[in-house]
Amino acid sequence: MKRKVLAALLAASMVVSLTACGGGGAAQPAGDAGSAGTEAPAKEEVAGGSEAAEGSEEAAAGDYQLDQITMVVDGTLNANLDNGQKEFNDQWDAYVSEKLGHSIHLDIQQQDHSGYFDAVGRIFASGSYPDVILMPASMFSQYVNTGIFWDMTEAYDNADFQSRMLYPTVNDSVKRIGDGRMYGISPAYGNGCVTYIKKAWLDNVGIDISTVKTFDDYYKMLKAFHEEDPDGNGVKGDTYGVISSGYLKTEEAPYIMYLPEFWQDAYPAIYPNAEGVWVDGFQEQATKDALERIHQAYVDGVIDPVSLTAGTKDAREKWFSADQAGSAGTLSYWAGTWFQTLTENLEKNEVESEVVMLEPIEEVGAYINREAYVWGIIDDGDGDSSREQAIFDAFFETMLDGERGQLLWTYGAEDVHWSTKAEKFTTNADDPEKKKDYEYADGEFHLKQALNDPNTIWKKNYLEPALTICGMKDEYADYVQVGGLAKEGNEFFTAHMKDAPATPSSETLTEAEGTIKDAKDKLIASVVVDGVDVETAMQNYVAAVGPIVEQVLTELNSAE
Amino acid sequence: MAKKKFSKSGIEIRQKPLGLRMWNCRGYYVMFLPVFIFVLIFYYWPMLGVRYSFYDYKPVGTPKFIGLDNFTKMFTGIGAGAFWTSFGNTLVLSVVKLIITTVASVVVSVFIFEMGNMIVKKTLQTIIYLPHFMSWAVVASIFSLFLSPSATGMVNNILFHGDTSKFIYFLADVKWWRPIFYMINLWKETGWGTIIFLATLSGINPEQYEAADIDGATRMQKIRYVTIPALMNTIITVLILNLAKVMNMFESVFVTYNAAVYDKADVISTYIYRQTFANALPNYGYSTAVGLFKSLVGCVLVLFCNWLSKKTRGRGII
Repeated sequence: MKRKVLAALLAASMVVSLTACGGGGAAQPAGDAGSAGTEAPAKEEVAGGSEAAEGSEEAAAGDYQLDQITMVVDGTLNANLDNGQKEFNDQWDAYVSEKLGHSIHLDIQQQDHSGYFDAVGRIFASGSYPDVILMPASMFSQYVNTGIFWDMTEAYDNADFQSRMLYPTVNDSVKRIGDGRMYGISPAYGNGCVTYIKKAWLDNVGIDISTVKTFDDYYKMLKAFHEEDPDGNGVKGDTYGVISSGYLKTEEAPYIMYLPEFWQDAYPAIYPNAEGVWVDGFQEQATKDALERIHQAYVDGVIDPVSLTAGTKDAREKWFSADQAGSAGTLSYWAGTWFQTLTENLEKNEVESEVVMLEPIEEVGAYINREAYVWGIIDDGDGDSSREQAIFDAFFETMLDGERGQLLWTYGAEDVHWSTKAEKFTTNADDPEKKKDYEYADGEFHLKQALNDPNTIWKKNYLEPALTICGMKDEYADYVQVGGLAKEGNEFFTAHMKDAPATPSSETLTEAEGTIKDAKDKLIASVVVDGVDVETAMQNYVAAVGPIVEQVLTELNSAE
Repeated sequence: MAKKKFSKSGIEIRQKPLGLRMWNCRGYYVMFLPVFIFVLIFYYWPMLGVRYSFYDYKPVGTPKFIGLDNFTKMFTGIGAGAFWTSFGNTLVLSVVKLIITTVASVVVSVFIFEMGNMIVKKTLQTIIYLPHFMSWAVVASIFSLFLSPSATGMVNNILFHGDTSKFIYFLADVKWWRPIFYMINLWKETGWGTIIFLATLSGINPEQYEAADIDGATRMQKIRYVTIPALMNTIITVLILNLAKVMNMFESVFVTYNAAVYDKADVISTYIYRQTFANALPNYGYSTAVGLFKSLVGCVLVLFCNWLSKKTRGRGII
């Protein structure tokens, strides 16, 4: 009997523990509709969403009272959980609630930056739709055809922020993706990469950056960085000219940004040419020429061979590493804030920290400004736009209000990320050589120490001050005039940029994207690393995915 | 009237009704219930997902039934080339790895078993077990640094005395990737594989060795005629059990491969990974179809192993 009682007790405890496990897991599904404050649209409803949206008029959003907005965002929101996200969130809630006259909460669901495609896919597949979501243009162009996004054309045209619009053309690419309608909004320029060079290395090999005008000049500089002793450690040949994250970043438009001098006028993706006809740039002569240049650089040893497999983090960390043996002299990376970050990291690693930006060489002409990230509002498919208009008003109108709302998105939370109060602080207090004192008077706008690294100064939250489509109002206008390397970097980029070609969107491309990407990656590796003849490699590419690419081009050109 | 049952010797078996038998064993059934529920929820319920291999299932929109289209795409369509390459690589890499690591484990086990000095023996055992406890991400990082083609790569610097123009990109070279992959696996898993063989060796009757000594057998002869025959059953069991798992290769490849070696390194799991996670709008139906095919092949291998086990050992493994 004892055994039976014991068995029953054990079984009961196992059942209870199992139930507890199940209960715990189900309590917080990602993007749970219950926590969203808005009803997640049924998939059937979503399918018909675009039709409803097409006929949308400016709705009477005032009638619709939102109590919560669920936002899905990637790592571009710098105020993450370790960096004052709670304070940013609280201040947003307070500010927007006051502005709207009722309580509203922003539910931030920040996803892993490198696994964003996967995370977003899972959120949608689970049926837990957010209210607003951020996507790279290439991702947005594929989702837009599914009809999940609300047509915000009228809302955008009639928005209050239009009166302070500085860069009206930024959202042209969003319109292009939506065939003339706006299913999303880009609040800032896409930004792009510029080529950074270590000034000390230039000096050590006796090259003046102003003389680097052509690809030949550029290549001579890279060879000097490899063959001479630019890091001054007494060893020749232990350094490289350039390092990059991949020879072609096939998963991230505009693809060629990490080696612009080698790719020059090539655009190895499907894009609309000067006549507006969609073509496969990967099969063009310009791409073949670029691949030969990269292969030659690989053979000559001027490009760090680990570039094939290096992620962006690997490439930049190697570039500014404390041990400069094995490092490279140039790195093409994002403009603006990164100019400051790269410099600070060199400084932190006690390496000669002066970095100079290379003006685009003749063959490049201009650096590429990528298509901007796009925010979309999820259409609930009920044929009534009042909820979506309310989201637009609460989210985008405040994000670009030129006042405190815009400031929150630009710099983050007051007295956490920035302040106007009198204060003194010191960075690198323990290191007499790097120690720096900061002192601000009352009323003087300034950025504070970064929460996750008190030895650096906070740079921005989400919006790049100089690249935002709308300016700031009144006294806030002075806040974006903060100087420093980030500003210098932004100004340099905007003075030397051109827009990236449009991103394609077709049913076949969505289906075959992974296969085409694989074929490109294989070709590039075979040409650059294995030295396979470009023509032969291109024949293999055409044999593998040529018919699919043709089908994509036919779809795109027939839709024009 | 219930049919009577008889034993082989013709004696009638008087069996109680099922309900009564269950009631009599109710304690065991109650104990079994949580496990049964657990298995249903976590093993069988997710299996219902295999139906999506017949659907066009994107993150957004209603899944659409498309019959065998995903399988057509996989076997003959746009995904066929990469799929068959990955399928072939899976089999080759798994089987070769299995043979190499098993042989190495046997050799190392015998070597350790033959060692006389207990301190050296235990130290060696501990050292060779350690790599097994490292994650594949760490192992890949270590070997990437050692084998780096960059100026800081240790192996290249030793081989070519710092002449970077001669450096080999081991992990991006189609000739080198597989040998390196096998070598890394050997380093990581050989030690762990010796445990089961050492357990078997410790169970060999010492009288057999004493008899061999009396017969004047040398050490090599004792290994050949006593140790190896005693290990054979275990070797076959280990081989058969591991053969059933050959389709499950992922981590070890994922952390060491790259686009330059897809033709030699891409396995089914990494192919599924790219098809699912590298696409902005993936078709989960296609990934499920590839996964289902992988499972079916795995199932066939298990049945084959079971048949092989019956043939070689007189009893099955399932």
